[in-house]
Amino acid sequence: MKTFSYSFIFYCLLGLILLATTDGLAQVESSDSLLSPLLPPSEVIAEDHPGDAGGAIIVRWKLSPDEDKGITGYEILRSASPTAEFSSVGFAATGANRYVDANTEDSLTYYYKVVAIDADRNASESEISPPVRSSPQWFNFHLLNLLIIGGLICGAVIYFIAHAKKGKKFFLRKIAGLEAVDEAIGRATEMGRPILFIPGILDMDDVQTIAGITILGRVAKTIAQYETKLNVPTSRSIVMSTAMETVKEAYISAGRADAYSDDFVHYVTDEQFGYVAAVDGIMVREKPATCFYIGAFFAESLIMAETGNSIGAIQIAGTAMPAQLPFFVAACDYTLIGEELFAASAYLSGEPKQLGSLKGQDVGKIIAMLAIVIGALLETFFAISGSSFFGSLAELVHKLFSIVAS
Amino acid sequence: MDSFFSHTLAAILTIGIISFLYKDNPLYKFCESLFIGVSAGYWFVQQYYANLLPKLFDNLGITRMLGAENVPEGALQKLFLHGEWSEDLLYLIAGILGVMMLLRLVSRIGWISRWPMAFIVGSISGLYFITYFQSNAMRQMQNTILPLNSFNNLVLIVGTVTGIIYFYFSKEHKGLFGAAARVGVYFLMVTFGASFGYTVMSRMSLLIGRVDFLFGTWLGLVK
Amino acid sequence: MRRQIPLIITFIVGSVLIISVFIPHKPFGQLGENFSVYFDIIAVFAFILGAGNLLRVHGNRIYRKHKDWPYSVVTVAGFTVMMIAGLFKIGGSPGITGDLTEPGSMFEELYMYVFTPLMATMFALLAFFVASASHRAFRAKNKEATVLLLAAFVILLGRTPFGVKLTSWLPDPLSFLEIPNLASWIMSVPNMAGQRAIMVGIALGVIAMALRVILGVERTYLGADSE
Repeated sequence: MKTFSYSFIFYCLLGLILLATTDGLAQVESSDSLLSPLLPPSEVIAEDHPGDAGGAIIVRWKLSPDEDKGITGYEILRSASPTAEFSSVGFAATGANRYVDANTEDSLTYYYKVVAIDADRNASESEISPPVRSSPQWFNFHLLNLLIIGGLICGAVIYFIAHAKKGKKFFLRKIAGLEAVDEAIGRATEMGRPILFIPGILDMDDVQTIAGITILGRVAKTIAQYETKLNVPTSRSIVMSTAMETVKEAYISAGRADAYSDDFVHYVTDEQFGYVAAVDGIMVREKPATCFYIGAFFAESLIMAETGNSIGAIQIAGTAMPAQLPFFVAACDYTLIGEELFAASAYLSGEPKQLGSLKGQDVGKIIAMLAIVIGALLETFFAISGSSFFGSLAELVHKLFSIVAS
Repeated sequence: MDSFFSHTLAAILTIGIISFLYKDNPLYKFCESLFIGVSAGYWFVQQYYANLLPKLFDNLGITRMLGAENVPEGALQKLFLHGEWSEDLLYLIAGILGVMMLLRLVSRIGWISRWPMAFIVGSISGLYFITYFQSNAMRQMQNTILPLNSFNNLVLIVGTVTGIIYFYFSKEHKGLFGAAARVGVYFLMVTFGASFGYTVMSRMSLLIGRVDFLFGTWLGLVK
Repeated sequence: MRRQIPLIITFIVGSVLIISVFIPHKPFGQLGENFSVYFDIIAVFAFILGAGNLLRVHGNRIYRKHKDWPYSVVTVAGFTVMMIAGLFKIGGSPGITGDLTEPGSMFEELYMYVFTPLMATMFALLAFFVASASHRAFRAKNKEATVLLLAAFVILLGRTPFGVKLTSWLPDPLSFLEIPNLASWIMSVPNMAGQRAIMVGIALGVIAMALRVILGVERTYLGADSE
């Protein structure tokens, strides 16, 4: 009994000593790890930033093995010589393995180091990178896909314009809003009321305004033939000047130069809501029988369209502003949606060359639809089968339509 | 301006504009005329100080020539005083084009104002060509290339493709093609309805703001 | 020749700007930015024409005692006062480098107490007009209008507490039919599909129109009919 008791006590004591020692060893190990240095990032490579006008270098590195042990980020250091002092040029977050230094001079050679930093400001430097210089490029190869696809579509447009010059006729479906233009002008003539044409709220630096002015030219020619009064209030001075030229020439080409007046087109104000206040005033006082809203519009679109409704005018609208289309669709008799705005001038001209360009646009749509359908099918096969063949093809289609951020 | 006077003036102008909803009247006409005049003057002054002065006069050195010593030397000073070429000299092109616009007023040589118009239209066509293609076409196509393994992806792809079919010009909307175009029209109607519904509430909040000004700030009836 | 030179200018400028997107090297890489600044400068010169036209039109109305000629006096007076107050910085720090919008200056006061209330109220009128447009749009005369109406209703209700309460009683398996979830789905799926179709179409339309303009097929903006 006594022997057992002493043995028991001895073994318990031994166990306790062992437990304490193990726990202590663990603590020693963990404090050892606190004392061990942070492991640096490695394989630092610096290269000229591609596809730019010079002045930028990309620095890449392999992440520090201590990435998940408290590293808060990386500091990028630069020097003109491997033996000179290095200065900081920027920081990258934890997990990042590249940095773009956008403040380099093309004539100088640079060396880089990357420093891993943790929360306690412990730092660990990498090896110095090989020397590098930034330089400008003459061609941005990241945009090669844009050049290929854009080139295809442009080629199609030019091809069909050239074909149309040779006399080939193309079928084009009717667009209700454009079929109604003559009827709308005729209605104003019969009622003896003027026609109001609003070429949008933006300046000539918007492509929708250019489309609006080209349509104004077509519509003005018909108006000149009907001898109806035209009113074109503009929100920008350049638009006023361009519209005046356009309307004047339309009247001259219709053989009605005597009927033209500089008062047809007038400037109101650059201010969006001041302009619409003036347009509303024109509508309720002059009561135009037909209103055209062709160009770029913002919130004021609804005010104008609803006022036009209240005076009983026929309203034909056309815009490529997706946010305003619903209001025009709801309030106007006819609406040219997006692409139809840009096609309208060609439609109204009836000229084969102009109509040929619309055929080229359709080729672009075929490319778009094929790309989406083929790409979707490849992605589906890849998702189902996991085959790398389909995966590579799907990635190729994605890359063909990718846009690289500058 | 005295606070009560300024608030009263603002309130009268607010009521004048709102009165348009009833019918055209002298107060609305006054507010409209005042708005046109004041806003046109405002934008002219803004454009002068935001564009003409810094981008042309400062860059060329005309401002400094007129006595503003605290403005840095411009391209003309650098060229004539120090013999240095500066890229800012190219702003002379813009100045010349601007003067050409004004020659519209001289009927004998007014035709020269077409040159800056041609410059503007050409540059906008060139600039927007690529911008629209990248953001509107390429990006949208890339984002629509999705696997058909979910209902949402299927709806998205069918909606996009049928919507594009609707805009197809050189084929009559008949038969299977016509049916696809009709599906596209329905997707477009959903798009328009969604935009409409989304905007309605934000328009209401604008009115709440003006009512709050009239009854709260001006009359002090709502705190 | 007078008509040819503008067409040549359009062709050269347009082509160079398209090509410059692919050439980052100076001076091509910065051409787009530079040309945008040139436009801003030209626009200010053109404003002289616009202001001149405004004064001419209203001046004529005053001179000929047009029906509403007193309002033209208001327009001309407002324009003149605002321009003088701004250009000469009346009531603020004068000189070319003085702050245009200095608090207490006449320009700033006119902006705060005349311009801003007028602008804000015109904007606020949208609330009334959207109600009348909704009334017309929601009469649903055909299938397309019905679809538009339903989508608008769901989105509208989905953003209100009433819409949340209306379908909160639905069991979990049918939670996708709850109005806020339905609204979210409509915005992110069919609405997105329609938006993408419209945007692809717009891009192709812009490309074709830009090519017509650059190649000289479309010339109406120059005041010359196409050949």
